[in-house]
Formats: sequence, C-alpha cells, structure tokens
Amino acid sequence: MSRLLTKDFLSGLMFIAFGLAALWFGRHLPVGTTVRMGPGYVPQLLAYLMLGLGFIIAIVALVYPGEAVEAPSWKPITLVTAGIVVFALLFEVTGMFPALVALILIASIASDEFKLGEVIANIVVLSILSLTVFKLGLGMNISMIAGVW
Amino acid sequence: MDLFHNLVLGLGVALTLQNVAYAFVGCMIGTLIGVLPGIGPVATIAMLLPITFHLPPTAALIMLAGIYYGAQYGGSTTSILVNLPGEASSVVTCIDGYQMAKRGRAGAALSISAIGSFVAGTVGTIVIVLFAGTLTQMAQSFGPAEYCSLMALGLIAAVVLANGSILKAVAMVFLGLLFGLTGTDINTGAERFTFGVPQLSDGIDFAPIAMGLFGIAEIVVNFERRLERSGVIRVGSLWPTRQETRRACPAIVRGTLLGSILGVLPGGGATLGAFAAYTLEKKISRYPDEFGKGAIEGVAGPESANNAAAQTSFIPMLTLGIPSNAVMALMVGAMIIQGVQPGPEVMTKRPDLFWGMIASMWIGNLMLVIINLPLIGIWVKLLTVPYRFLAPAILLFCCVGAYSLQNSTFHVIQIAMFGVLGYVFMRLGCEGAPFLLGLVLGPQLEEYFRRAMLLSRGDPLIFLQRPISLSLLLATAALLILMTLPNLRKARQSAFQEEET
Repeated sequence: MSRLLTKDFLSGLMFIAFGLAALWFGRHLPVGTTVRMGPGYVPQLLAYLMLGLGFIIAIVALVYPGEAVEAPSWKPITLVTAGIVVFALLFEVTGMFPALVALILIASIASDEFKLGEVIANIVVLSILSLTVFKLGLGMNISMIAGVW
Repeated sequence: MDLFHNLVLGLGVALTLQNVAYAFVGCMIGTLIGVLPGIGPVATIAMLLPITFHLPPTAALIMLAGIYYGAQYGGSTTSILVNLPGEASSVVTCIDGYQMAKRGRAGAALSISAIGSFVAGTVGTIVIVLFAGTLTQMAQSFGPAEYCSLMALGLIAAVVLANGSILKAVAMVFLGLLFGLTGTDINTGAERFTFGVPQLSDGIDFAPIAMGLFGIAEIVVNFERRLERSGVIRVGSLWPTRQETRRACPAIVRGTLLGSILGVLPGGGATLGAFAAYTLEKKISRYPDEFGKGAIEGVAGPESANNAAAQTSFIPMLTLGIPSNAVMALMVGAMIIQGVQPGPEVMTKRPDLFWGMIASMWIGNLMLVIINLPLIGIWVKLLTVPYRFLAPAILLFCCVGAYSLQNSTFHVIQIAMFGVLGYVFMRLGCEGAPFLLGLVLGPQLEEYFRRAMLLSRGDPLIFLQRPISLSLLLATAALLILMTLPNLRKARQSAFQEEET
C-alpha cells in the first residue's frame, strides 16, 4: 500500500488521467496533417506526451518509492470551497452583504480558533472595506443588499 | 542619446500624479504582503488581476510591478524580526538576519537590507534600460520557428531551475499548455474542451485559474499548517556601525551583480538570486565561521540579490513576451487583460507604457526605502495580526474580484474548482508555476508551431535549419542534459533542501 500512496505515483496517475480525458473529450476534433493542422493536432500531441510522462513518473515511483502523501485534513479544503460556492450562489440573489457574512462565517470555522466576537468584528471591518474599495473606490456595479441598495 | 530620450519619456509617464499614486499603492501592498507570512506576491497579484481591469494599462502594470519588488523589501523585515520568511526569496535572510536581531542589531540589519535593495533596484533598472533595446531588436527578426524554439527554451529552463522533480514539472507544463488551448480554435473555429459552456468559448480565463491555484489553495494549506508567530524582537537603532557598513558594502555590490544576471535567466528570479548570493558570500568571506551567527554579509548579499533579480526578471517578459517565472506569467496575463500583447512590439507600439513602467520601478524603489525604514514600527505591529483574520479577507477579495471580471458568478465557481485542483497539486508535490507558464504560453505556442509547420510544408526540420532557432534548441537540449548529470543534480537538490529547512 505504502508503495502506491506516494506523491510521485499518484501524480503519475493524475497526468495519465488528464491525458486520457484530453483524448476522450477531444476525440471529435479533426487532427489534420502536419502542414495544415486541425484543431485536434496539438491537443492530441500534448495528451500523448502527458500519457507518456505520466507512465514514466508512475513507474519510476514504483521502483524508487519517494515521499508518502500526507493524509489531507478535510475540514479546511471542504469549508473553504463550500464558502466560495455559497458566496457565488447568494451573491446575485441577495446582494453582497449576506454573501459576505456567509463566506466569512464558513471560512472562519475552517480555522481551529473560532471566536464569535472576533468573527463579527472581522465581518464589520471587511464589509466597510469592501464597500469603500469595490463600490465607492472602483465604482463596480454591485448591489449591497439585493433590491434595497 | 536615444536612451536618454526614452528615459525622459518614461519619467514623464511615471511621474504623473496618477502613476505615482499607483506605484505607491503597489509598493504599500507589496510591503504589506511581504511582511505577512502566508501570502506571497503570486497570490496577491493573482487576486488583484480583476481589479486592474478597471485601471488604465500603464497604471495597472506599474502597480503590479510595485507589488513584486515591494514584497522583496517587506519579506526581509519578517525574516529578520521573527525568523519566519515573509517571502520565499527571504528564506536565507532568516539565517543571519535573525541572529543579528537577537544580538540587538535588528535595526542595522533592516537598514542594510533596505539600502542594499535600493542599490540593487537602481542597478537592476539600469540593466533593463541597457538590454531591453538590444533584445527587442533581435526579437524583431524572429519568425514563427524562432518563437517556438524560444518558448521551448523558456519553458524548459523554468522547469529545470524550479524546485522539485523535473519530470513532474515538465508534465505540469504540458498540462498548463493543454488548459491554455481551451476555447475556440482561431484557425478553424472549432470549439475545444468547452463542454458547451458559453463562457469558455473565448478561452479559459487566466485570472480565476491563477486565483484558485495560488490564492485559494494557499489559504487552505495555511489553515492546515496553522502558522505560528513567535515573539517580535525590538528593532533598536537603525544605524549600522562603521564596521558593519564596511563589510556590507562589497556584499551589496556582489549580490547586486549576481542577482542581476540570475534574474534574466528563464526560471531565475528573486529566490534563486538570494540563494546564490548567500552561498557566494559564505564562500569568499574572510570570516566564514560567523555565518549563521549573524554575519552582516549574509543579510546584505541575498537581500540585494533578490531585489536585483526581481527587477531584471522583467527583461525577458518585456522584450520577448516570455515570462520567466510565475509572477511574470501573471504580468503577461495582466497585459493581455488590458489588450496589450506582450512581445517586442510593446516597446515600439507602446513606448509610454514600456518606459513608463521601467522608470516607475526606480521611483518605486525610492519610495520603498521610505516606506520600510521610518515606518518600520507599523509593519512590526502588523506582524501580530493572526492569520485567522487575514484568510477571510483574502477569500473575500478573490471572490469579489472573480465576480467583477464579467459580472458573473461563473468565475467565482471557477476559483473554487481551481482551488481544489491547486490543493491536489500541492499535496502531490506538483509545482503550480510551470503550469501557469504553460497556460499563458499555450495559445501562442500552438499558433507559432502551426504557422512554422505551414511555412515549412510540414517539415519539422525547419526548427533545425534556421540558425537562431537551432541555437535556442541546442541550449534547451544542453540544459536538459546538464540536469541529468549526477553532480549538478545533487547540487540542485541540496540548494533547495536548504530552502526548505
């Protein structure tokens, strides 16, 4: 098992996967000839190069196992991603303030030292900052609270 | 005479109130993020790309450039005062800078590094002025085959000099190139890898990818690591003693020269310059046993070198349109957003932008000495702000910035996706920088490749028959072969190991 869970072996697999995906999604693109290349020529060339390199990296990693992959801690990556997605979903429906509050709340939970008072202070400061920078300073067309302002 | 004329033109552009103001903003932001560990110039410039869209091109580039060299000044503050590198390029400054601080000489270390950076910045700017013209003229005789070979050299060199496994880095370049091909093929109008998403048909946007890969992924990793802050040391007198000055001056000169040379190389840049300068100082010093215990040369040399290299790494980007590191790839992205195609034409078609930016670098360096020395107290205070306040602010800026690109939440979702991808890259030890270089150069490389092959009627030998193209390819091959030699490989590895500790 430890032989397979090395950084190098897994990145080899990743490159192979990307190469295969490029071949699959580019399968309908005409390749053309070397003189008049079609839209599929260069992508396919790159895909094969990646497949080849991916295999070499993976095989080398099996022979000389390198550094093992650290177990990811799921909390930060999940919460940060969730925060951004929630922000995106709320932004156009509710305006910037509610989206901002949601983003900061969710992102703050990702940190181990969550203190409500600090988070509220952070929300206030960042609200004022983004209002002055984005709306007033750069004149972006952003509504603060949808339908109201 | 011509040079003089150009400099006057540049100073005229750089000294307008608006451009001075943006240079100042850039330098302030650069110092700020340089001082704060956990956020670097790549993430910051990526984050600010959408905002630059709202600015005039010259002002935008002046500000972004200010962030890059400003970060070199700010980074040293953190290295010296808390023994944490504010920037990757300040890692070596920790070694002797922090030791000096412990002996109560923090102020002197800070002054020497600021003065060294200023000297280096000035020389770096002069080097750009001297070489930019020559290189641009050379580049104007380039055909598609030469450009192709030049890009190959740039990409490979960037990979070879980067940290980590070469094979993985090459694969990352290919992956970046592939991502760069997304969108409508300009020759045939065929849609490639767009998955029916209309926003992708103009090509994949550079800014959200850079923000996701560098900004978001970096935040996540920092959350995991939980950056710890040690106590901040008192600064003390800023004046170096006479003996310190006497030892620092030659080190500043050597660091500046070394950094200027290394900065021009593809893949070079601030970090490489700093490491090389430290090694050099240690080797030729009359007091080698003092290194690691607070030798002033160990601060002066690398700090000058990183700033000189930050300055001269603009040369390949400005003259040839070839970025040599991730920051320059972002600058290329910023220029494209502004509708300026980087390459030799920039100098002839937009001399105001070209010379204005160069002149502003010198003005910016002057500002930075003032920002960093008398105002040191403010930056020291900032060091006590915990990361949990900073991270939500960075996230928010990324999200709003991504939205403002086209007033659509599509790009916000995109930064989330590339954040996850960037996290996977980091976990697997795959460098983001080669990916970014590939991404920026992808469309151009394909275009030149296709044109070259069309001209040669499908004969790939064209790349070997044209002398400039041939020599560029030979240089590329030589680099690759050099890296497989066991001696050099070991040297490269040990250099980067030092960086990680």
